[in-house]
Amino acid sequence: MGISVKLDRVLLDRGMSLTELSERVGVTIANLSILKTGKAKAIRFSTLEAICKELDCQPGDILFFDED
Amino acid sequence: MRAIGKGSLASLLAVGLHFTRIILWIVVCALGIALVISPFAPMIADAFRDSDNIDIETGGGAFIAVAYPFVTAVVMLFVVNRLLEILKTLRFGSPFVKENADRFRAVGYALLLGEGAKFAFGFLSLVTRTDVDIDSNMIAWLAIIAVFVLAEVFHEGARMKEEQDLTV
Repeated sequence: MGISVKLDRVLLDRGMSLTELSERVGVTIANLSILKTGKAKAIRFSTLEAICKELDCQPGDILFFDED
Repeated sequence: MRAIGKGSLASLLAVGLHFTRIILWIVVCALGIALVISPFAPMIADAFRDSDNIDIETGGGAFIAVAYPFVTAVVMLFVVNRLLEILKTLRFGSPFVKENADRFRAVGYALLLGEGAKFAFGFLSLVTRTDVDIDSNMIAWLAIIAVFVLAEVFHEGARMKEEQDLTV
């Protein structure tokens, strides 16, 4: 239940690795892994903006709300 | 003065607490031995009955006179050990962890037990008419409350630190 992150799906669609995204957005692989595995408690607007810019997507493509 | 590292207040406190812990261990061991032999005080008193210079407390009073400082020393040793553990986490640069909140809470309960023991031994000393120097003051109770407040602050601090660590 709550917000889930589908970063791996978007990365797969774009054919981009986590390492490549890390270099492009300036966020460590460790932090991106936290985000990808759903362990993150919060995401900064600046991080979300950078990820959306690099992956050419909307925040809604990465973040989903699950009711169950 | 630096907060952590060599020559810091934390390192000086750690040295002081290590020294205090050694003294407390010696006191606890000595009082533990005295506690074990205190029920035999009447027999020891009989053995020294002819000596004018030795005054040995007999009956239940001897036990209370030894048990009270023993409990106090054990509580102090427990508190010193918890404070050393807290200082250890400070040395590693992460004092805001859930374990420290638990440690502060344990210190609070230990101090509470110590104050409760004061009343219990005070009552027993009245019953057995033993001369044991027991006094409770408001500062001690305020210190206990302060420790519990500190425990809650650390609990919230640990939660905030975890949230910060997991913010991407």
